[in-house]
Amino acid sequence: MQRYAINILFGTAAIVLVALAQAGILDKYVLTVITFMGINCIFAVSLNLVNGHMGEFSCGHGGFMCVGAYVGSLLSVAFFTNSKLFGPALFAPELAHFLFPLVLVGASFAAALFGLIVALPSFHTRDDYLAIITIAANYIIISIVENIDAIGGPRGFSGMKRVVNSMSDAADLPWMLIWTIIGLFVCVMALYRLMTSTYGKGISAVCQNEVAAEIMGVNTNRVKIMAFMVSSGLAGLAGALYAHVYGYVNAQSFNILKSTEGLVMVYLGGMGSISGVLLAAIAFTLLIEGLRFIIPWLNDVLHAANLLPASYELSQVWKWVIIPLILILLMQFRPEGFLGNRELTHVFPRLKRWITFR
Amino acid sequence: MPLLEITGLTQRFGGLQAISNFSFQLEDHELVGLIGPNGAGKTTVFNIVSGFYKPTEGDIVFGGDRINGLKPYQVTAMGIARTFQNIRLWNDLTVLDNIRLARYSWLNYGFWSAVLRLNRYRQAEKAVETKARDVLEMVELSEYAEELPKNLPYGLQRRVELARALAVNPKLLLLDEPAAGLNSTDVDGLVRHIRWIYDECKISIWMIEHQMKVVMSLCQRLVVMNFGCSIAWGTPEEIRENPDVIKAYLGDETL
Repeated sequence: MQRYAINILFGTAAIVLVALAQAGILDKYVLTVITFMGINCIFAVSLNLVNGHMGEFSCGHGGFMCVGAYVGSLLSVAFFTNSKLFGPALFAPELAHFLFPLVLVGASFAAALFGLIVALPSFHTRDDYLAIITIAANYIIISIVENIDAIGGPRGFSGMKRVVNSMSDAADLPWMLIWTIIGLFVCVMALYRLMTSTYGKGISAVCQNEVAAEIMGVNTNRVKIMAFMVSSGLAGLAGALYAHVYGYVNAQSFNILKSTEGLVMVYLGGMGSISGVLLAAIAFTLLIEGLRFIIPWLNDVLHAANLLPASYELSQVWKWVIIPLILILLMQFRPEGFLGNRELTHVFPRLKRWITFR
Repeated sequence: MPLLEITGLTQRFGGLQAISNFSFQLEDHELVGLIGPNGAGKTTVFNIVSGFYKPTEGDIVFGGDRINGLKPYQVTAMGIARTFQNIRLWNDLTVLDNIRLARYSWLNYGFWSAVLRLNRYRQAEKAVETKARDVLEMVELSEYAEELPKNLPYGLQRRVELARALAVNPKLLLLDEPAAGLNSTDVDGLVRHIRWIYDECKISIWMIEHQMKVVMSLCQRLVVMNFGCSIAWGTPEEIRENPDVIKAYLGDETL
């Protein structure tokens, strides 16, 4: 029982969160921020599998999120709504809240397939050269999506709000929060279990010494395919959730900037540390949202102290100075991130008694 | 029938002929040394046998099967394990995990079994764990199971690598300069371990080694290479007297 203490704590926290949202105590803004926190967590830990555990530098992770977002959106619109694109709904909209996992699974598998764009070249290419291939993959995916006019092209695609609404009509619950919590749980569980199995440690072996891995019987090509597909599949899950929370997708929201956000979260948390990256994803989301309030406050303070000319207002653009500055400081003073490549349970061994993922 | 039979092995890297027409036979349960001056092509032969290079010409037959052109992980699965001249361990995985991973070829479960913790996964992991602990016991490393190899002294790292090679249940063990960089106490321990493995596991060992003390006390037979060809073979005593070998190591006095 003791071993499950923290798991139960998280479970209770999730239920309390859902209850608070249901009771209307959390306003819509806070709820959205919390949901995005969960989505960022999925996005970051999935990237961590490739960048942290396997030691390759993927900077095109946003592309796979894009695939997931679009495939998820298309599936749910086709399944649960009458649309011009797909005609009448495949299933009754009242079933949306039961069958939504199908959408998430479909989106993940589609994104996993696209992961092959990077996995196959990785057999013979590594490091910087593979990083360039991942950027290329990001651009390829976005260009493809932008040039299919049937799904909106550069105008984006919408209609998912109707699906989310029909879920709420069938049962009045904060559905997207619930799906995000379930998605995050499945994602962390899967990655943790994978990385504690001998099969999954093959990924670490490829990272730490590929020659030794190959000679000791690890089929390195298969390991790479597995790692890239799992990683991009989970990014696709994050994308599908993102699309439904927003109710609208646009290929440009998944460009290189999105991929960079993922990289920041991974390096902030510590490469190869699942718990570190989760902490970093939460901190990063809070930071981005927090700056919305901190910058106007800073503006007032500086004006009051006469440190800024009255004609100049500190605007939100400064966010993109402050965040990169934090990155520079991080790389200077703590390049290994919050936890290095260690898990929280290594830093605080006592935690081990309270938590289990077996 | 010999366990390993190499015939007419030739390896070219562009214009460079690294190995030319090298032939060799190794019987079941035999401990043979491969010696020669630096750059003679010894490690290249090992790299070819373990599947790293595809030989330009020639045949490698192991236990009756032709193995040239197989991938390294396939060669390992057939029962050839090796260690490296410069230690290649996975430094951020524990010693136990290093040994566990050597059983990778025998894992009969995949991604879904690992994630869903199916019965198949649990059984396979249990078998891997038992095997890994046994091997650590064998080379007297049990107390270091949870350590990271990078925190161990050099001599122990060598022994971990030896244990990892043993974990694949090899029929043939290729040791690439196992005594390189060891002090004399460590060398004595290594010789003891190799002899013990050879006697207990009934396997064949083929080793590259420069330290004559090791070669002379372990090997029943020696093969000498120079410039990619085998120039002599025989018992250690015969090799020591062989004029070609002396010439290869010390140079031609008539020059």
